[in-house]
Amino acid sequence: MLEEALAAVEAASNLQELQDVRVRYLGKKGELTRKLKALGSLPPEERREAGRRINEHKQAIEEAIQARREALERRALEGRLAGERVDVTLPGTRFGDGGLHLLTRVTNRLLDVFTALGYEVAVGPELETDHYNFGALNFPDEHPARDEQDTFWTTDGRLLRTHTSPMQVRYMEDHRPPFKVVVPGKVFRNEAVDATHEAQFHQLEALVVGERITMADLRGAIDEMAAALFGEGTRTRLQPTFFPFVEPGAEFAIYWTNPRSGRQEWLELGGCGMVHPNVFRAVGYQGVTGFAFGFGIERLALVPYGIPDIRAFYQGDLRVLRQFRGAL
Amino acid sequence: MRCERAAGTAAGSRPPAGAAGPVVRVPHGWLAELLGGDLPGVERTVELLDGLGLAVETVHALPAAPRRVVIADVVEVEAIPGSEHLVRAVAGDGERRVQVVCGAPNARVGVRSALALPGAELPGAGFTVEAREMMGVASNGVLASPRELGLFDYGGGIVDFGPDAPLGAELAELWPAESVIELELTPNRGDAFSLLGVARDLGAKLGVPLRVPGADADQGDGAIDDGLRLEIEDEAACPRLTLRLIEGVRVAPSPVWLQRRLAALGLRPRNNVVDVTNFVTFELGQPTHAYDRRVLGGGVLQVRRAADGERVTLLDEEERVLVAEDLVIATPDADGGSRAVGLAGVMGGLRDSVVRDTRDVALEAAHFDPVVVRKAARRHRLSTDAHYRFERGVDPNLPPRASARAAALIAEIAGGSVHPGVSASGSDVVRPEIAFRPSRVGYLMAMEVPAEEQRASLEALGCDVEGDQDDAWRVTPPSWRFDLHIEEDLIEEVSRLHGYEHIGKTVPAMHFVPPIHDPTHRWLREAVAAMGLQETVSYVFTGPDALARAAAPAAGVALSNPQGAERSVLRTALYPALLTAAALNRDEPALALFEIGHVFLAGGEEERLGMLWRGPYARGVWRADSPLDFFVVKGVLERLAARLGADVRCRPTQAPFLHPGVAAELVWQGEAVGVAGQLHPEVAARYELDGVYLAELRLPLAEGRVRYRDFPRQPFAERDLAVVAPVDVAYARLERLVRDAAGSELESVRPFDVYQGEQVGEGGRSVALRLRFRRSDRALTDDEVDGHMRNVMSAVRDAGYDIRA
Repeated sequence: MLEEALAAVEAASNLQELQDVRVRYLGKKGELTRKLKALGSLPPEERREAGRRINEHKQAIEEAIQARREALERRALEGRLAGERVDVTLPGTRFGDGGLHLLTRVTNRLLDVFTALGYEVAVGPELETDHYNFGALNFPDEHPARDEQDTFWTTDGRLLRTHTSPMQVRYMEDHRPPFKVVVPGKVFRNEAVDATHEAQFHQLEALVVGERITMADLRGAIDEMAAALFGEGTRTRLQPTFFPFVEPGAEFAIYWTNPRSGRQEWLELGGCGMVHPNVFRAVGYQGVTGFAFGFGIERLALVPYGIPDIRAFYQGDLRVLRQFRGAL
Repeated sequence: MRCERAAGTAAGSRPPAGAAGPVVRVPHGWLAELLGGDLPGVERTVELLDGLGLAVETVHALPAAPRRVVIADVVEVEAIPGSEHLVRAVAGDGERRVQVVCGAPNARVGVRSALALPGAELPGAGFTVEAREMMGVASNGVLASPRELGLFDYGGGIVDFGPDAPLGAELAELWPAESVIELELTPNRGDAFSLLGVARDLGAKLGVPLRVPGADADQGDGAIDDGLRLEIEDEAACPRLTLRLIEGVRVAPSPVWLQRRLAALGLRPRNNVVDVTNFVTFELGQPTHAYDRRVLGGGVLQVRRAADGERVTLLDEEERVLVAEDLVIATPDADGGSRAVGLAGVMGGLRDSVVRDTRDVALEAAHFDPVVVRKAARRHRLSTDAHYRFERGVDPNLPPRASARAAALIAEIAGGSVHPGVSASGSDVVRPEIAFRPSRVGYLMAMEVPAEEQRASLEALGCDVEGDQDDAWRVTPPSWRFDLHIEEDLIEEVSRLHGYEHIGKTVPAMHFVPPIHDPTHRWLREAVAAMGLQETVSYVFTGPDALARAAAPAAGVALSNPQGAERSVLRTALYPALLTAAALNRDEPALALFEIGHVFLAGGEEERLGMLWRGPYARGVWRADSPLDFFVVKGVLERLAARLGADVRCRPTQAPFLHPGVAAELVWQGEAVGVAGQLHPEVAARYELDGVYLAELRLPLAEGRVRYRDFPRQPFAERDLAVVAPVDVAYARLERLVRDAAGSELESVRPFDVYQGEQVGEGGRSVALRLRFRRSDRALTDDEVDGHMRNVMSAVRDAGYDIRA
C-alpha cells in the first residue's frame, strides 16, 4: 500500500490532486486512518508492531506529499513568472523630454561663475527711457555714438534697451557701494539681420564699484572669468576703445582654442573700462571708482557649438533646441 | 565739400552689420611717408594700431599695375568701316608705334594712356593681351581702362594719366603694390579720419616726428583783395571759412601718383582739381570744395539757413527740398536773390562743379557745427565722407592750413597761380585746459608710467603741457581732440601709448556679501523643464496681425522704426509665439514648450511664464498613449505649486483665445496670476492645430511659507458618498458644501468618480466623494463618523441635490 500511495503522490499533477491523495490515505476516512482504527482489533503483541509500521508509512507519505507540494508550488511560480516576462528591449513610455534653451544654459553657467566670485545677480526692464539707456550713461545728445546703438524707438518716445548698461544706473540708484553685480538680459539693435546678427540678443553686464577699484581689478576679473570658462591660465587681452560710459575704455578678448576648428585664436568678447565720472555724477556717487564690462552671450553659445546661424536660437524649432542637453 | 565717396560707402548705405561705425582706409606706404619712412612693416603696424585703439578691420593687399603695360600717347585714331564704335588707333610710347583696335569713347588723339602689350595680364579683364585681328584690322595691344588694369573701378573709357606722365615708362614702376589698412573708428576719434591723424598716433607711439603736409604753405593775406567776399549769416553754425582763389588752372586728368593715392582710398579719380580736394580731405581730414569762380555771383559765397521749401540739386543728381534748419552754401543769383549751391558739410551742388573749361577756381575750406551737419545728413538721408568727418568733429583750426595745402597742390598739378589774398572768417580756438595729475595714471590703471614718458606722450599727441609742481599739470589738448575733456581722458591717452598690455591683474578686496535670490528664475526653469517642457526663446517684436490671429490683447507699445510690419509692436502675451512654434513643430507627435519672458502691456512691462502642450502627455509608442486634457495641465500646475509650497486653484473664466468651456483663471496663493485652458478651436484652426492646451502666468510666483506641523498619528475613518447634482454645479461648490457640513473632524474630501449618463438623467451628474475623518487625540467611533455623514447628507439634500445609493 505504501508504494501505491507514494506513486499516487508522485502522480499528482497539481495541488488539488495532491490534496485528493492526502485525503485518500491520510484523511478521516483514509486508508491509513482506517488501518490505525483497526489496530484495536489486533492482539496486543501484534498491535505494537503494526502501529509502528503504520506510523512509519504515514510519515513517509506525509514527507512525500510535502516534497511534492513544494515541487508543484515551485513549478506554478515558475510558470507564472514565465508568463509575466516582458521584452525589455521594447521602447519605454515617452514623456516629454523637456530641457532648457541653450542660451539659458550658457547664461546659467556664466551666473554660476560670477556668483561663485561673489557677484550679485540683478535684472531690469527691456523697455527703457533715453535717460537710462543714453543720457545717464554719458551719451551726449546728437552724438554719433548714439547711431552705433541702432536703437528701436517706440512711438511714445521710449526705446528697447540697446545694452544691459542701463542697469548700471538703475542698480547704483538703489544701492550703495561697495558692490559687485552682474546683469544678464535681452538687448535690441535695429540692424540688418543675418547669420551672425540678430535684432534681439543677450548680454551680460558686470559692474564693480568700491573705494579704489582699478583697471588691474578689471583685468583680473576678466581673467577669472576666462579661467572659469576656459580653464586656468587662459590668456586675455585688453585694447583701447571708446564707450561713452567708461574712461579709459577697452575691448577684451580671450585667447582660446576654438573647439570647432581646433585652432588657437583671439575671441573678441566685449567692451569694458573704468566707470566714467559722469556716470557716477548721474547717480550721485562720490569718492569711488569702478569698472564695468559687458559682452554678448550668443557668441559664447554659437562659436563652441558651431551653430551656423544665430536665428536658430529664436525659431523654436525642436530639431535645434533639443540637441543641447547634458553637460555644457 | 565735394567728396567722391569711397566704394562701399555709397550714399545712404549703412555700415556693415555689426561694424561700430564707418571705416577709414589708410595706405601703409602713405602713412610711412608722413612719418618720414620710419614705420615698421604692415603686420607690426596693424598690431600697433590695434594697441592704440584704432581697430584694424582688415588689410587689403592691392597689387601693382600689371607688367608689360607702358605709358603711351594716342597718336592716330581712324574709324573702322562697318563698325559703329570700334576705331583703329595707334599708340606711341616714344620708341614704338603700336596699332590697336579700341572701342573706348575717349580714345582721342593726344590722350596719354596705358598701352598693354602682348603678354600683359589684365586682372580686371581676366585675359592676357595678345596680337590678333578684329574687323580685318591687326590689333597688337590694348589701350586699357582703369578697371581692366585693376587700378580702380572705372570702365567707361581708357585710362587717362594727363600730359605729365612719363612717356614709355612701365606702369608697374609708377604704380607699385600697396597695403591698405582699413580701420573701424570709434565715434570719439574724429581726428583719426585722416592719414595725418592716424600717423600722429603712430608717431607718438613710436617716438617718430610727424611730417605735417603743407605746414609751410602760404595761407594768404586777408588784407589783399582777391575779389571774393564771404557773407556768413550764422557764425555759430559756420565758425570758420576760408575761400582761396587759384587763377588760370588747366583742368586735366591727375598725375599717376595722385590717381594711385585716390585709388588706394577706394575713390575714382576725376580731374586734377577735384582730385586734390578729395586728396586733402583724406590726407588732413579737412573736407574742401572747389567752385568754378564763374558760379559765384559777384564773387560772393554765402553761408545761411535755407528757406523752407527751397530746392537744391546735389552732386548725387537728386533735387532736395530744404527746411529752414538746413545750413546751405549759397551765392547771389542774377535776380538779386540767393541761390543754394550745396548742403553745408554734407554734399556740394551739381551746378557749381569744376568743369573742363574752368579757369579760375575758388577753393572753400570751412568748419561746420557737428550737430547742424548731423541733423541735415539724417534729414536728407545722406551719408558722405564730409558728413562723417564733420559730425565727429573736424579740427576747427584746420581750414586755413588745409586751404593753403590744397591751393598749393592745385597750382602744382593743374597750373595756375594761387592768389596772394584770402577771404577768411573766424579765428583759431583753444580748447580748455585740463588739470592733470600724473600720479592718477598709477592710481586708476595700477600701472607705473614715468612722468617724463607721460609728458612726452601728451606732447606727441599735440597737447600743451605746463606745470611746475610734480603732480599738478595743466594740459591743453589740441584743437583736433574733441574727446579730451577730463583727467580720465588724459589717463587713457597716456595708458594707450604706454600699452594696455602692461596693466596688471588684481582682485579687489571688498566687503560685499551678495544677497541670495533668483531673479532669472533658474529654479522655475529647471522645474518646468523637469516636467517635460522644452524652453524656447522668441522675439519680443511681433505684428498686429500675429496678435489678432492668436486672439491676444492688442499691442500697447509700438515701434516707430520697426523692421517690417510683422515686427512693429511688442508682444502682449507669450503664447502666440508658442503657437507659432507649435505650428512649426507640427510633425512632432507630442509637444510641450515653455518660455519665460517679458510682455509689454499698456499698463507696463511684466514677466511671465507661458506653457503649451499638444498631443499625448505620455506616448505609449507601441501601446496606448496617455491622452492630454485640461486635468493634465492642471496637474502640472499643481505639482509646480506643491514644489513651491504654494497652492493653486482654478475657477471658470472666459478668454478670447481659450475654449469657453475649458478655461480657468489661475489663483495662486489667493491671487489671480493667469489663465490655463484649451486653445479656442477657432484660433487653433488658424494655425492648423488641434488639441492644444495653454497656460500663462505672471511672475514671480509666490512661494508658500513652510512651517513644521505635527502629523496625525490616530487612525482615520473614510466614508463614500455619491452626490447627484445638475451638471453645471461646479465640483468646487459641492466640496465646499460638504466641507461646511462635515465639521472640523473632516480631514479631506476627494472625488473618486464622476459620472454623467443614463443612470442620473439628462443634465445631471454624479460625483462620488471619499470623505476622510480624523481626530488628532484619539480614534473616532463609528457612531461619531456616521453622525457627521448624516449632517453632510442632509446638507446635500437641503441644497436640492440627490444622494445616489
